[in-house]
Amino acid sequence: MNNTLLDIKGLHASIGDKEILHGIDLTVGRGEVHAVMGPNGAGKSTLSSVLTGKPDYEVTEGTAIFDGKDLLAMSPEERSWAGIFMSFQYPIEIPGVTITNFMKTAVNEKRKTLGLEQLSAGDFLKLMKEKMAFVQMKPEFSKRQVNVGFSGGEKKRNEIFQMAMLDPTLSILDETDSGLDVDAMKIVADGVNTLRTPEKSIILITHYQRLLDMIEPDYIHVLKAGRIVATGGKEIVKMIEEKGYDIF
Amino acid sequence: MRKVYVIGPGIEVPEHFTVGAGESLDICIIVLPGVSADIPLTVDLTGEGADARLSGIYLCGSDEHVSFNIRMNHLVPHCTSRQLFNGIASGSSRAGFSGLIVVSPDAQKTEAYQENHNILLSDDARITTLPQLEIYADDVRCSHGATTGKLNEEEQFYMRSRGIPASEAKVLQMISFISPALDGIDESIIASVEDAIRSL
Repeated sequence: MNNTLLDIKGLHASIGDKEILHGIDLTVGRGEVHAVMGPNGAGKSTLSSVLTGKPDYEVTEGTAIFDGKDLLAMSPEERSWAGIFMSFQYPIEIPGVTITNFMKTAVNEKRKTLGLEQLSAGDFLKLMKEKMAFVQMKPEFSKRQVNVGFSGGEKKRNEIFQMAMLDPTLSILDETDSGLDVDAMKIVADGVNTLRTPEKSIILITHYQRLLDMIEPDYIHVLKAGRIVATGGKEIVKMIEEKGYDIF
Repeated sequence: MRKVYVIGPGIEVPEHFTVGAGESLDICIIVLPGVSADIPLTVDLTGEGADARLSGIYLCGSDEHVSFNIRMNHLVPHCTSRQLFNGIASGSSRAGFSGLIVVSPDAQKTEAYQENHNILLSDDARITTLPQLEIYADDVRCSHGATTGKLNEEEQFYMRSRGIPASEAKVLQMISFISPALDGIDESIIASVEDAIRSL
C-alpha cells in the first residue's frame, strides 16, 4: 500500500470570477495529522470545500489524487464513500430530518457501494448508541432534527459523531474549534484523538493554537493569500503566536 | 382519525361542508403525480365551537394541472380553523392554491390560520398562490402565509458530503417538506406518498 493518502499538486480554484487558491501543493501520508493555519480570507475554507466537492467552487488547474483515485472527478457522495469526511465550520440545519434517519441513510448508502448488506435496525441502533456516547450526546439526540436548534457546541459534537459513524480515512476538520468553549473543545479533541489510527489521516484547519495543544499535528502549514507559504513543526505555531502571520 | 382523500378516478372531495356547534371537520387531501384536478372546497362554520382542520399536499409532475380553491367561512363566534397545504411541482406542471378566509361581522373570537408552502423542482413548472383574508369582526386572531422556493442546495451538499446521493438527498428534503401536512394520517398512505415523491 502506497503511504501517500492525498496528493495535491498545483491546485488553483475559483469562486465566480475570483481565484482564491493560487497553486496549492500538499501531500498527506497515511496516519498523519496536518494542521493548516492562516489568517481570515487565506483560502482555508475554500481548500476544504474543493476537497469535498462543493458545487460553488471551480478547480481551474492542478490535480488531487486520493488513495490512488482522481478526487476532482468524483461527486461529493463518491468522495464520502471513498473515505473523505469534512467537519463543517458551519454545520447545516436540515429541518424535518432526524439524526437517526440521516445517519441510517448515510451509513447504508455507503454499505451499498461497498457491496455490504444494509445494517439491521438493531445493529444500527447499537452503533448509534456507541458513537453518541463517544461524544457525550444524550439518547434523545437521535430523535432531534439535524442541527435544528443545536447550540454551537452540540453542532460540532454532532460533526464528530458523524465522523465516528462514517469511519473516514481522511477527516478534514474545518475550524471545528471556532466558537467552542474549552469543555466542548476537549470533547471534540478527545473524539478526534480516539479516531486517530496509523491508517487514518486528518487535516486540521484552524486559527488557533488551543486545538493544536489537544490534537498534536505532525506538520503545520501556513496558508496565506491562496498559497502555502511555510511548512514545519510546532515551532511555526509559536512564531505565529508571537508575531502573527505578517512574517510569512 | 382524519378523513383522507387521495384524489383519483372516482375520488373527489365534497365541494361543501357545514360544521355546526361543537362539531369538527378534519380532512386531508392528497393529489399524487399522474392526476390533474380542480378542487373547489367551501367550509361553513355555522355553530359556536365549530372547528375545521384542512390539510393537503399536491405532487405535480409532467404537464399536470392541479388547483385548489378554498373558502373558509367563519359565520359565528368562537370557531377555529387551521389550514396547511404543501405542494411540489416538477416538469412543466401547473399548480394553484387560492385560499380565502372570511370572518363575518358576528364571528368574534375567531381563530383562523392558513399556510401554503411550495417547492418548484424545475424551471418550467409554475405555482401560483393566493392567500386572502377578509375580516369583518374586530376581536379575532387570523394569519396566513405563503412561500414558494426551491430545494435548499446547502442542505443537499451537506447530505451528499455524508455519502447520501443527490437524488436521495432531494427525496429526504421533499419528505420533510410535505410531512407537516400529513400529520396524523395512516402510515401506509404516508408510505405511498413517499413512493410517489421518488417518482417526481
